[in-house]
Amino acid sequence: MIRLEKVSKRFVLPHERKHTLRQRFVSIFQRNIYERFYALRDIDMDVQSGEFVGIIGKNGSGKSTLLKLIAGVLEPTAGSVIVNDGVAPFLELGVGFHGELSVRDNVFLYGALLGMSRAEVRLKYDGIIDFAGLRDFVEAKLKNLSSGMQVRLGFSITVSVERPILLVDEVLAVGDLEFRQKCYNAFEAFKRNGRTILFVSHDLGVIERFCDRVALLEKGVVKSDGDPKSVLAIYQNQG
Amino acid sequence: MLPFTSRISEPGGGRRNYLYLTLVMATMDFKVKYDNSVLGYLWSLLKPLLMFGTLYLVFSVFVRWNVENYQLYLLLGVILWNFFSEVTLNSMVLLESKASILKKIYFPRWVVVVASSVTSLLTLLLNICVFFVFFFVSGTELRASSILLVLYIVELYLLATGMAFLLCGLYPKFRDTHHIWEVFVQLGFWATPIVYPIAIVPDRYHRLIFLNPAARIVQGCREALIGPGTDFLTATNHLIVLAAAGGLFVAGLAVFNRLSRSFAEDL
Repeated sequence: MIRLEKVSKRFVLPHERKHTLRQRFVSIFQRNIYERFYALRDIDMDVQSGEFVGIIGKNGSGKSTLLKLIAGVLEPTAGSVIVNDGVAPFLELGVGFHGELSVRDNVFLYGALLGMSRAEVRLKYDGIIDFAGLRDFVEAKLKNLSSGMQVRLGFSITVSVERPILLVDEVLAVGDLEFRQKCYNAFEAFKRNGRTILFVSHDLGVIERFCDRVALLEKGVVKSDGDPKSVLAIYQNQG
Repeated sequence: MLPFTSRISEPGGGRRNYLYLTLVMATMDFKVKYDNSVLGYLWSLLKPLLMFGTLYLVFSVFVRWNVENYQLYLLLGVILWNFFSEVTLNSMVLLESKASILKKIYFPRWVVVVASSVTSLLTLLLNICVFFVFFFVSGTELRASSILLVLYIVELYLLATGMAFLLCGLYPKFRDTHHIWEVFVQLGFWATPIVYPIAIVPDRYHRLIFLNPAARIVQGCREALIGPGTDFLTATNHLIVLAAAGGLFVAGLAVFNRLSRSFAEDL
């Protein structure tokens, strides 16, 4: 179960970002000009176990920030984020990949990053490789694979992490038809298994197909939250 | 077929095994560093060996110091200091190179620093093996006190990693920490008895030099393995070094944990 109570996230954007002591020293007598910007403001949201929640909204509406807060990567400026189950903390496919390592090594590294134990990765290793269709390439360096292959590998590892909560950020933007079909199959299976999924996407067709509930974010606030059809209608009507 | 079962592990969201993640990260960094080959490791030996060769040329041929076993003296010092400088400097570079992961996936941030220090520790152990090759080739006798090297390496590890925690905590907000620390590492190299034997330093400066725990470790290792002298092989010395290194480690970790909360925004 995930519970967000009055969660706000504010980013401080200095007009001129000072990254070094030297810059701070040089500009001792200058006034700092900051822009405070709320990526999320007073979000209240409850997600029950087993719900498949879609999150939609324009670019910059706070969708990814919301997922990062739930994943624990960001800390809220105010309010509290309570996550009772284990989170499979992936936001994008292949973030932890290392091009200089072989496919096999990447499976172990990425698996560990996503919270799998050694025994778990070993157990699933063959399944992961077969699902990604990379049996002939396990010793190849990752950077030599095509981007499609890398995405397949990332997805394959990601779906094999068996945590109750999954956070998915725009994974369908890449990949061919066959890959998409695999994703859909995986989502179906997740639903059957009763996992909780938060799904960020601009693909409204997929949102409507899988989600039990959709939240529409606009400028950091939840504009609408509920039945997919009605929320999608609001989103599409606002143009 | 899908690569997962219907089982959902860890219903209560139990603690994950971060030690395993640390080890995987360290071994993978090690593999990348040495290109997964023996030749890759040999190549990396070039740096400390070249440094050793240059210093040896200057101080043994040009300056002509008459120190018994000077080459071993120097090599040991260079290897140990190389470890210290590598852990403290590389951890910041690695933190930056892992920014994209830190921004997307949650795990305790100390994992990155510890993984990078473990990678350097593996290199140190290999380098120590190389040192022993030289040691036996030169016909030096192995003393019983050599076993103390293990303890000194533990102390050096704590010291270097503690310092790395402090530096990495500051790094995302102050990027020039890396440049500033580079200068300090240079200074430390000459303020530590690595190139010169402690005997040539006037007595009144000894106190000052041994304020630096790294100097105590380097001097202790020399006395344990090569000699002469046994001044630093005392329990008091170990207590002082362990207190300093352990204290720095705990304080560094605390500061790091506090500052690392905003890493995803600062990096």
